[in-house]
Amino acid sequence: MAFLELRQIDFSYPGGRPAVLSGVNLALNREGISAIIGPNGCGKTTLTKIMLGILRPTSGEVLLEGRSVQEYTLAQIGRRIGYVFQNPEQQLFSSTVAEEIGFGLSYRSEDPAVIRERVEFLLDYFELSPYRQVFPLHLSYGEKQRLAIAAVLANEPEFLILDEPTVGLDACRKELLAAHLHKVARLGRGMVLVSHDTAFVNRMANRVIALEKGRVQRDSGLEGNVGHES
Amino acid sequence: MLGMNLDPRSKLVIVFCITTLAVVYNTPRALFLLLAGTIGLLLLFRIDIKRVGGYLKPYMLLLLILFLAQCIFTPGGEVLLAAGSLRLVGSRGLLLGTSVVLRLLIVIAAAILLTTSNSRDFISGLVQWKVPYEIAFMVSVTIRFLPLFRDEFVNAVTAVQLRGVELKKVSWGKKMALFRQLFFPLVYGAILKAQQLSIAMEARGFRAYPQRTYLRQLRLNWADYGLILSCPVITLLLIGLSIVGG
Repeated sequence: MAFLELRQIDFSYPGGRPAVLSGVNLALNREGISAIIGPNGCGKTTLTKIMLGILRPTSGEVLLEGRSVQEYTLAQIGRRIGYVFQNPEQQLFSSTVAEEIGFGLSYRSEDPAVIRERVEFLLDYFELSPYRQVFPLHLSYGEKQRLAIAAVLANEPEFLILDEPTVGLDACRKELLAAHLHKVARLGRGMVLVSHDTAFVNRMANRVIALEKGRVQRDSGLEGNVGHES
Repeated sequence: MLGMNLDPRSKLVIVFCITTLAVVYNTPRALFLLLAGTIGLLLLFRIDIKRVGGYLKPYMLLLLILFLAQCIFTPGGEVLLAAGSLRLVGSRGLLLGTSVVLRLLIVIAAAILLTTSNSRDFISGLVQWKVPYEIAFMVSVTIRFLPLFRDEFVNAVTAVQLRGVELKKVSWGKKMALFRQLFFPLVYGAILKAQQLSIAMEARGFRAYPQRTYLRQLRLNWADYGLILSCPVITLLLIGLSIVGG
């Protein structure tokens, strides 16, 4: 059974605007790195929000391990799927960088020593240690991006969806992110990368899904199915 | 459509009158009638009430907290609920709590009327009424910022839940602490955005020249004149009646 399955997803934003997604079918396994690529406005971010249940499709259904995502609360989904928003500012809400990383853990009643250790590791790994007491919105864009990724990874979700994770990262930090994501993938966790960064996608993904005008135009995970959805 | 044809200045006058009445009225009955009237006006303006409900959803918890705080902390009146010798809810607190919630709902519902005109029209309407451009611009920016602030709050709550926090299962104490934790970054974030906006405006020559010209001139029609004249008169009458009626 696929970890995440999208069946005949259609989506339009309210106000009679044209359809953003039409008849999207996708099956994502718990393991492996998939990338969703496509031009601006083709529905990539909308698709990820539908996967998480943040947006409800106009028609069709999303299944998480065989159950509709509507049957889960956002928190239940969030514990299993880590999501990095396209704009990191949208997910930063704490007063300090360290608090931001440890936030989810502290609400799970984790041992304070474990929280401290994990926060320290991620601060160090994403080179955020000098900013541990800084207000997150005072960071530069690249730093906010690293913080958003670190905060999501701190929860150790079993699946990750990262929307444009390399935007604002320099080559060295991209390298570090790639190494960490490979490590996460080796632990048997799957992920979806939404990206325009072709080099990063080619290097990371073992499946590439190309969206265009709200439809899956190409899916390298399906043999010879160019122009068809799965 | 009535709402679309009205001049933005007429809408401002209507909203000003409604909010004035909301401040003056202090009984739940009068406020409820005013809220019903405001909703009727929204329907007249063909505003989708379901969408309004969606706008209000994120504020419901805040309204509930305000209501409970008023109920619990307002002294006086008959005791309606008590735990042993500890007074929990008094009749005065209940009345005040209901009034505060209704008042806020009226203000939010009235403000939705303003969303039926674009901010550019508000600016040119106010400038035609000799309001300094800087002030008119600030008013329009405020109107534009309100939904943004709401979106930020919704995003923050979504992000919190996506970190695995089950908001419905969190105890009230923890929930209050969480909202307090969200409040400061949200307000500070809004201030930062306002600062960035002011820099962007100045970089694009805001106030660089003393004179501004406008391509579009707004004209008041008979319905606008009727509303602009009658709304304040009706408001004054209603205020007078509420004073006389006690």
